[in-house]
Amino acid sequence: WGSAPATSLLSLAVTSEQIEHLHRRFKQLSQDQLTIRKENFDSIPDLEFNPIRGKIVHAFFDKRNLRQESDGLADEINFEDFLTIMSYFRPIEMNMDEEQLDRFRKEKLKFLFHMYDSDHDGKITLQEYRNVVEELLSGNPHLEKESARSIADGAMMEAASICVGQMGPDQVYEGITFEDFLKMWQGIDIETKMHVRFLNVDTIAHCY
Amino acid sequence: MFLLLPFDSLVVNLLGISITVLFTLLLVFIIVPAIFGVSFGIRKVYMKTLLRIFQWATLRIERGAKEKNHPLYKPYVNGIIAKEPTSLEEEIKEIRRSGSGKALDTPEFELSDIFYFCRKGIETIMDDEVTKRFSAEELESWNLLSRTNYNFQYISLRLTVLWGLGVLVRYCFLLPLRIALAFTGISLLVTGTTVVGYLPNGRCKDFLSKHVHLMCYRICVRALTAIITYHDRENRPRNGGICVANHTSPIDVIILASDGYYAMVGQIHGGLMGVIQRAMVKACPHVWFERSEVKDRHLVARRLTEHVQDKSKLPILIFPEGTCINNTSVMMFKKGSFEIGATVYPVAIKYDPQFGDAFWNSSKYGMVTYLLRMMTSWAIVCSVWYLPPMTRQPEEDAVQFANRVKSAIARQGGLVDLLWDGGLKREKVKDAFKEEQQKLYSKMIVGSHEDRSRS
Repeated sequence: WGSAPATSLLSLAVTSEQIEHLHRRFKQLSQDQLTIRKENFDSIPDLEFNPIRGKIVHAFFDKRNLRQESDGLADEINFEDFLTIMSYFRPIEMNMDEEQLDRFRKEKLKFLFHMYDSDHDGKITLQEYRNVVEELLSGNPHLEKESARSIADGAMMEAASICVGQMGPDQVYEGITFEDFLKMWQGIDIETKMHVRFLNVDTIAHCY
Repeated sequence: MFLLLPFDSLVVNLLGISITVLFTLLLVFIIVPAIFGVSFGIRKVYMKTLLRIFQWATLRIERGAKEKNHPLYKPYVNGIIAKEPTSLEEEIKEIRRSGSGKALDTPEFELSDIFYFCRKGIETIMDDEVTKRFSAEELESWNLLSRTNYNFQYISLRLTVLWGLGVLVRYCFLLPLRIALAFTGISLLVTGTTVVGYLPNGRCKDFLSKHVHLMCYRICVRALTAIITYHDRENRPRNGGICVANHTSPIDVIILASDGYYAMVGQIHGGLMGVIQRAMVKACPHVWFERSEVKDRHLVARRLTEHVQDKSKLPILIFPEGTCINNTSVMMFKKGSFEIGATVYPVAIKYDPQFGDAFWNSSKYGMVTYLLRMMTSWAIVCSVWYLPPMTRQPEEDAVQFANRVKSAIARQGGLVDLLWDGGLKREKVKDAFKEEQQKLYSKMIVGSHEDRSRS
């Protein structure tokens, strides 16, 4: 599989063992093809548990997350793209300075922001917020749509007050921009929580 | 004209003599003990010798690897990522506390709530529990079978010779022997049960039927060179009960049935299996279903209940997982057999993968390929534990009872107790499971929301 360009992988600062693990996983998901499509994620039963499964899978194909110039959704991703998405979840390293940490944090928060902002216009509108809340609360048959909506509306108002302060009665809050989003996550150490750690397996995985 | 060369007749004679000797040996050392249920202990000696050889082989590989200064390829067993053990509630509480300082009991949705699900989702994408359970369990030492070796380049000449010898022994000596035994066992079973079937019903028929079955299963056990250790035999299933065990391969049936007399349950197949099934049912009442009847759960349940209520009938043998699992864990038991209301006798079967991997990955190998693999392994070593009988308590439903039995089996066999449905190997997840996590989360948010709107 040695065709992946070495330079871009180095920037991920993942060990070669971990890349091999992830490659095995990629091959398993893609059923030995070179690319993965949305349907391939259906083969993960544990993922069905997850209420925002759709948004997570969507995030893998979101061109903004794949650091591509264009906008919209990709149809399929290759191993390099897979690693790019996984890099949003790498743990912080000890030797990072302030600036690197800040950039690291912004990247992770951008990933979460893109999850909310489904129409890619750079703002989380009330409708998009409602969508997320409804998805998270979906599957509960006793919950009425109105309850979910009112929870979302309440939360949105809260967000507005944090970001814009007191609004006049005629002011319309258009949506949460990325700067506002950052404000709301202040104080939460997302960079230490949003990661997936590899187990320290001190030997290499199989070679095929 | 056939005997042109002078030593041709010699060759033919030698061949004849060796075959006779072989068959006599076969009869004396294998078939006769099988009939009477005794054992010479040959297989145990064989097992010990093999173990010593394997240890030597593994040491050579490790030495070879060290010489070349390469790390060894040891497969992992526990998964590749460290999953955070915190629960949904703990995580959300923690995030909210560090963020806006609000506690969980204030009923609002927080922007950060999405985070827990997002991370869990990525964790399962990277590495998930269920798919791992379905490929053969990975070994730590090499057992001289090329199918389990990943370190080929570190084998020295001596080891290659040993491996070659192993192949010779397995394919040219053990395989024909085993096939001969299997053939003998199966034909004896078919003819024996058909003959017994002609007898009038009564104690004589039952006695003979039991012994014909046992004898033939014991021959089949020897045909696979299965070395079985039975524990707690005083808990063996009795009439009117249901025997429940975890399922790794079709061989499980042979292993259990060679130590006890059971009524089998299953679908009628065509071909050789069908012939065997039809012969068996002449001698004693097994429960076979037509393919069309299998889908009808009520019919199945009714027939099983009828069978169980008749105390003169044998205990039923059922594998509730529904499919073969790779013997590192126990998956969800289907509740059908637990609804019937009979006493359940759980049995745990654990195979030792060092001598031959007994797991049948039915999506990878067909039945014939699988049997060939089994017959060309060194041996099949397993332990069987008979657990004390269990009955359904009044306050539990069938699913809870099934889970209780499953945990007991998993604990005894040293297997991991998984909630997942073995049927997942082929199908998609049932919607009921999707709701669990969502319900928990929505309860957290909405429950308190309703409190607030009321106050």
